[in-house]
Amino acid sequence: MTLNGMGIKAFNENSALVQSLRHTAAANTDRILVMINMIGGNDGLNMVIPLDQYSAYNTLRSNISIPQTSVLGLTGMPETGLHPAMTGLRSMYNDGKLSIIHSVGYPNANQSHFRSADIWMSGVESNQYASTGWMGRYLGNRYTAYPVGYPNPTMEDPIALQIGYLATPTLQGASQSMAVTIDNPDSFYQLIGAGGSTPPTDIPPNQIGGQISFIRQQQALAVGYAAEIKAAADLGVNMATYPSAIDKNELADQLKIVARLIHGGLKTKIFFVTQYGYDTHSTQVDVNDKRLGVHADLLSKLSVAISTFQQDLQSQGTADKVVGMTFSEFGRRATSNASRGSDHGVAAPMFVFGTNLKKKVIGMNPNLTTELLPENPQPWETGRDIKMQIDFRRVYTDILNDWFGTAKTTTNSLLFRNFNTISLFSDFVETVGNGNWNNRDVWSVGRKPLASEYVKVNLGHTVTVGQDVTVKNIRLEGNLNFTGNYKVNVLG
Amino acid sequence: MAYLSSYSPVLTADTAAHLLRRATAGPTKTEIANFTGKTALQAYTDLFNNINYNPSPPIVLNENSSYFKQTFVTGPFRGADNFDWSSYVKYWWHAQIIRQDTPPSLLEKLAVFWQNHFVTTREMVSDYRYVWRYLDTIRQNSLGNFKNFVKVITKDPAMLLYLNGNENVKNSPNENYARELQELFTVGARDFAGNLNYTEDDVKAAARVLTGWNYTNHWYEGSTTFGSAFDLSKHDITNKTFSTKYGSTSITGVNSTTGGDTELNALVDMLMAHPEAPKFICRKLYKWYVNPTVTADIETNVIIPLADFFKSPANNFAIEPVLRKLLTSDIFYDIDNIGAIIKSPLELMAGSLRLFNFQVPNMTSETVAFRKYFSYLDWRMHVMQMSLIDQPSVFGWEPYYQNALSRAWIASSTVALRNSYATQYIWGSDEIPSPYKIELNLVEWAKSLQPNFLSPTTSPAITADFLLEKFSEKLFVTPLFATQKEFLIITILLFGSGRGTWNNEWNDFRTLSNNPTGMAYTDKFNGIRWRLQSLMLYMLKMAEFQVF
Repeated sequence: MTLNGMGIKAFNENSALVQSLRHTAAANTDRILVMINMIGGNDGLNMVIPLDQYSAYNTLRSNISIPQTSVLGLTGMPETGLHPAMTGLRSMYNDGKLSIIHSVGYPNANQSHFRSADIWMSGVESNQYASTGWMGRYLGNRYTAYPVGYPNPTMEDPIALQIGYLATPTLQGASQSMAVTIDNPDSFYQLIGAGGSTPPTDIPPNQIGGQISFIRQQQALAVGYAAEIKAAADLGVNMATYPSAIDKNELADQLKIVARLIHGGLKTKIFFVTQYGYDTHSTQVDVNDKRLGVHADLLSKLSVAISTFQQDLQSQGTADKVVGMTFSEFGRRATSNASRGSDHGVAAPMFVFGTNLKKKVIGMNPNLTTELLPENPQPWETGRDIKMQIDFRRVYTDILNDWFGTAKTTTNSLLFRNFNTISLFSDFVETVGNGNWNNRDVWSVGRKPLASEYVKVNLGHTVTVGQDVTVKNIRLEGNLNFTGNYKVNVLG
Repeated sequence: MAYLSSYSPVLTADTAAHLLRRATAGPTKTEIANFTGKTALQAYTDLFNNINYNPSPPIVLNENSSYFKQTFVTGPFRGADNFDWSSYVKYWWHAQIIRQDTPPSLLEKLAVFWQNHFVTTREMVSDYRYVWRYLDTIRQNSLGNFKNFVKVITKDPAMLLYLNGNENVKNSPNENYARELQELFTVGARDFAGNLNYTEDDVKAAARVLTGWNYTNHWYEGSTTFGSAFDLSKHDITNKTFSTKYGSTSITGVNSTTGGDTELNALVDMLMAHPEAPKFICRKLYKWYVNPTVTADIETNVIIPLADFFKSPANNFAIEPVLRKLLTSDIFYDIDNIGAIIKSPLELMAGSLRLFNFQVPNMTSETVAFRKYFSYLDWRMHVMQMSLIDQPSVFGWEPYYQNALSRAWIASSTVALRNSYATQYIWGSDEIPSPYKIELNLVEWAKSLQPNFLSPTTSPAITADFLLEKFSEKLFVTPLFATQKEFLIITILLFGSGRGTWNNEWNDFRTLSNNPTGMAYTDKFNGIRWRLQSLMLYMLKMAEFQVF
């Protein structure tokens, strides 16, 4: 039996389903993205732990494996747990404010820190190069002339702000960084001060001229934005208790500034913050207690920083306009090395957080028995890697389309091609191809739909149903092909 | 266009300054004068002959220590003093870079290049003896044979620690060093056209070649010796085969206590026989000394011929002849390359300290002042994102590997930090006591320019234009435009009034200086000082001051 079109159920105009389908591409002008860069290559397998395969997990990395009983369980997701240091993020997950995206990466992984970071930041294939960052291209498209004529009355604030010193490639636009970098709003203002008289604009010939123009532009932007940043910092208030200085949680320090500036009304779209130290080739766990050690400290700081930041935004009433994401240049190898560490790997989970997320999990736990790389190892290839499930550019796609309201055609050109949604901000799970209902590759979310989810079979797709399935509701624009007397239970 | 042919004109003050800015931490005005009139080769040879590889080693700089003024890098290890003493190693190097009591040499600037090439960090290596030996290894090999340099650094205890070489053992290799050895130290990740230079399997094979090395007595209280050692039982003695990128080379496993060295030699031979390796090193040198942008034209006409020379049998990977060729070439002195690099914090800080003639306290006779001076400079460098022997990662300082190249030094926050650094020359630094306080005495400087200072009736006032000429002498690599001079004089120095104001104010100050007491004199002094400070601070913040 095949059902076509809208056959199953007519939808009320006012249903959440229909409303969400009407989501238009009008630019969402007040929305903010916070990007957290975990530098060094995060060991994802000790961050998000596949409890359903604990034995395989432990076999691959017995000298660094987190003891099963210490892994933090997740409500409604018994097969997956979090590192014991991440209690704050566990609560956020249980509250629906944290999404786990499994095994994110890109085809033909590069294991150089620099090149892989470059790929993530520029948003390209592993054999492709771009001198601009993906976010830089987006901002360059939205604020076309920048930095000429900025700041101006319609955008008096920096369009992107990096807490740090040297500009990240992610925000690199066609001619220069789209971001203003500051270490601290107060000292920045003091050091920059107010602008003075306008000096002559003569530029010497030869290459020195290009360098001088560039420096002058940076100086002018710094002066132009210093007062706005200071004003926002003065108006903004932190409403959560961040770690104290003795904890040396530099990520929390940075996010604290970000929250203060958001609350102070800074109209900046992108905030970029950094946490260093994930290149854990050795002694990533404590010699006596695998729950502790360098990696545990990093994850603890990450968890405290993000969860405090989220509390702060909620108390401020700014949470609904902010979404955050973590990323690292690669994951680490599934197999540990002899020095209680892990070498460079391939895919790893990503976190997205905020109050607007519609999916708690994208993708599935990596299968540690049948899906490791290399697929057919040679005798000397003792190290095994985690295969990619979700291309990182699909996450970017949803952020650009659904969070910022970018036109799909624009997003496709910013990312150099079309990527399927992961339905991160959508009420639906939708098809991205033909195949069996149980095949995760059929679904935008990289797993089969849950009984609690709305499902949409897209036009031109046929999904084969070989057993009874249960969903919240289903919308058919394509076909269902039942191989027997099966039914779709709709909970409504 | 001329490229690697020898630059034939004798050096003018401008071209001598260019050489000294690029080959040293920045010249004093005396050094520029001394190098003017030499040929490029004479100038280079002087900078080479002036090298002192073995200045007296660091000493304990803390007056409250019972080891005060003693050499510590060779004594038994003392953990309690480790942080301070490893800092003293860094201060010592800062002093070699900035000191003015020895003739200028090209060693330290090149050593900074190599330290940023073969990165290890004080923060991770920790043990001050390791840090010292590593720094000494870098300095001693800076102009030596590159292949030998790679071998020595591979076995250097600090490097074995920093990139986990000690944990690279048979059956469970740690690939960290093997990867960076290829990607960063020898062949580079990609060729000029963007093709991969080696495979992931080459990383794994190189790691197996390097199994079995370890360092000894790290942070071992009281230990009097330390070093590196090869443990055959942890060495993978099977054969290692590389990809076609290395001509399918096979390195034979050697089951002997000298096997580590034998295989390392074979590995370095193989790496440096890779056609891209000599280019990778020459390209990086070019970016450091000449221009961070390498065009296809430069690749063809400078990098490739220089690399061919570097690897030629006659040269056999000697570094010094390559540097000589580069620093005496037409392309080095090409007008398009002058001022084409944005100053790093080192060039900004050391360069201005030397240009303004700030003297460095003597380590042995003014030990406490020396400590305070370099502790302050080390902190300033750290704040401006360039700690020596403390790079953020094995890639070195970001501006030397990012696409943005030297431009990456400049962002809003570093603009602010550079302003702050410039301000110190005006307001002074309280951290350093007199007579080494870093503060420009601009009134005294102006007075020294004025003939018959106390007698306005005998000699006319120096003009504002002359003052600007002297204050900005050798400050910038290109001449100021007339519009800029006008702006600096009228808007900045004279707050909008005409040149006559300068003459009047200055002559009033000269007159009052005959009896330098009372409110009238103080007011006039403060007024003059404020104007001079405004001028100098403005110039030190100018974009033109940020390039060299």
